[in-house]
Amino acid sequence: MNKWILSILALTMIFLASCKDDDGGGGTIDDDMLSADDLTDITYDPQTYELVVPCDFPEMEIPSDNPMTVDGVELGRFLFYDPILSADSTMSCSSCHLPSGSFTDNEAVSIGIDGVAGTRSSMSLLNVGYFYTGLFWDGRVTTLEEQALLPVEDEIELHTTWPEVEVKLKRSEIYPTMFRKAFGIESKEEITKFLAAKAIAQFERSLVSSGQSKFDQARCEPGVFLDPLELEGFELFTFEENEHPGCTHCHKTIAQLFTDNRFVNNGITDVGGTAVENLENFPDKGLGAVTGNIFDNGKFRTPSLRNIANSAPYMHDGSLNTLEEVIDHYSSGGFSAANSDANVMPFPLTDQEKAALLAFLRTLDDDAFMNNPAHQNPFD
Amino acid sequence: MRKFSFLLLFATLFIASSCDDDTPKPEPAGDIQITFKGNYDGETFYTQKAYDYTDDMPVRFSAFNFFVANISLLEQEDATEETELIDIDFIDLGFDETQTAEAEAGVTVSAMKVPAGTYRGLKVGFGVPADLNRTNPVDYGSGDVLSKTSHYWSAWNSYIFSKIEGVADVDGDGQFETSEGEGLTLHMGTDATYTERILFPSSPIVVDEDGSINLTLNIDLKTLFYMPINEYDVNNDELLDIETFNGTHTDSELLIAKQLMRNFSEATALD
Ligand code: HEC
Ligand code: HEC
Repeated sequence: MNKWILSILALTMIFLASCKDDDGGGGTIDDDMLSADDLTDITYDPQTYELVVPCDFPEMEIPSDNPMTVDGVELGRFLFYDPILSADSTMSCSSCHLPSGSFTDNEAVSIGIDGVAGTRSSMSLLNVGYFYTGLFWDGRVTTLEEQALLPVEDEIELHTTWPEVEVKLKRSEIYPTMFRKAFGIESKEEITKFLAAKAIAQFERSLVSSGQSKFDQARCEPGVFLDPLELEGFELFTFEENEHPGCTHCHKTIAQLFTDNRFVNNGITDVGGTAVENLENFPDKGLGAVTGNIFDNGKFRTPSLRNIANSAPYMHDGSLNTLEEVIDHYSSGGFSAANSDANVMPFPLTDQEKAALLAFLRTLDDDAFMNNPAHQNPFD
Repeated sequence: MRKFSFLLLFATLFIASSCDDDTPKPEPAGDIQITFKGNYDGETFYTQKAYDYTDDMPVRFSAFNFFVANISLLEQEDATEETELIDIDFIDLGFDETQTAEAEAGVTVSAMKVPAGTYRGLKVGFGVPADLNRTNPVDYGSGDVLSKTSHYWSAWNSYIFSKIEGVADVDGDGQFETSEGEGLTLHMGTDATYTERILFPSSPIVVDEDGSINLTLNIDLKTLFYMPINEYDVNNDELLDIETFNGTHTDSELLIAKQLMRNFSEATALD
């Protein structure tokens, strides 16, 4: 059936291509195909994309073989939002990474194309270009370029194949021109999954904090201050003495990203005690499944907390619904396992202190990021 | 044919040697590698393994790592001539019992070329020296050892020079429970805690031209807990009372951090 449609399409294309010719059918069909594929008439003039980051953010490390260009980022945005990347054209990356959810889907676990639920919660893509120590909750992939290839063929996610997507991209009315402008390809035939992934990665690197969060304004702009409750929360958040929250043991503020990018067990899963063999009981082994080391079972990457109020529910399994629940979890000290992190220990917390921590976390809200027109769906 | 290649070789050699005249002769050099091994009370150290801290309180560690700095070879015992080997590096001795080969091999920092000669001593710094401690992880690319945000503490304006983390069975119920507050997070830092040690091997270190030498430093974690300050050793067993002082974060606890870093001197032995 599919093959049938394909051949009709191919025939139509040949027909269209030969129609364009004015010279009365002098060329062979092959030549005509070539000229239809040829993109060299379109100007290739790449302009560097200027990444603007808030004050005191580190410089993002961009791979030298994929510099960000204006056309590259724009192509990436189209691909990110285009259901052309899924088997039945119903889903795109943005189905699970929506701007309104800080580029998550606000579900406990993501639901894929065939209505099948995955086992993990979608991750915010805010500042994702800064995470060099391994992507995903378990760090199994290193670069955004590598990562972008995976959802397309993931059975639970977009569930199609790259060869199919490549055919659709070559056939598209818009993409050949966009690939030409982004990467200087000379013919449609040069459209590959690798270029698509590069463009998506460029778009993802453009998803940085706006600098308009109250926290950033208070840091960077004269005359803006945190209010007393928020300040109290900030002090609690960074207060690393025992019997205090000490969130900055892991959600580090130095590089402004509120993570140290390490993989730890922060005690959200009850495996039945601290004996080593209980480490087999993690329903999701996380880093352990990647390294094969039992002591890595149940370790997940410390996520950034920027714009955290907008990406509920929380944790890799979406098991905590609200920030209040998250704070209660930490205050309880969580569940002990053989490898639970020593920096997660119980601490007393008054209602006032809880409100303060929450108020501080809300200073990281970044509406300007979510509403940035440059990040929105181009097909809307 | 033989003759021909011989001639060719001769010609090449001739050209090569005539080139030498413009460029300074490379200094004769040998390779030095430095290996760090972790021990606990004289045995190979493993994370996630229960050790007796005191007779009635077992302890299980999850992390043991530290920066080393200003490692150099000394030509004389009075340390007048130093040949620098390493300005800064990060050593993570956190191997568990599934990694016995790694733990026994230790962590080797890359080989460095040094002029051939006889060296009397080895200087090793523990922590991040003051000049580098004025920088912070944002100043470095992600591949650099000093880019570790996990080892920087903003409140101190300092790198965390060393982390010793684990859990102590304080209530003696046979369980190691961070959820009961039994966690141990000893983080050391600030300029005042930087420590240097000079080690003198029993026989001099002789580096031959094109030779290769491996120097092994054993570091005993238990020795790091030596505590001469009465306030932090109420039990009087010369060990830090980890049941009371399970962190190093307040200003007064900075004294603990200082002592622990100082103990790196005593805890380190050259093989
Ligand atoms: C069906 C839902 C779904 C779709 C579709 C989807 N993702 Fe994801 N995404 C997730 C989930 C769930 C995770 C976390 C998975 C894990 O840790 O194993 C994730 C993780 C990521 C991460 C890692 C972020 C980090 O900080 O490590 C990136 C990047 C990402 N997705 C990009 C994409 C791109 C690009 C596409 C489209 C090509 C896409 N996703 C499509 C659900 C989805
Ligand atoms: C030992 C390191 C550590 C400490 C200390 C820590 N966290 Fe976390 N945090 C993590 C890790 C790891 C995760 C992800 C765990 C998972 O999903 O399995 C996480 C997840 C979170 C999340 C959910 C993020 C998301 O995208 O789902 C929030 C919110 C959070 N932490 C807030 C805090 C607060 C507030 C504190 C202080 C009270 C704190 N954390 C202390 C390591 C830590």
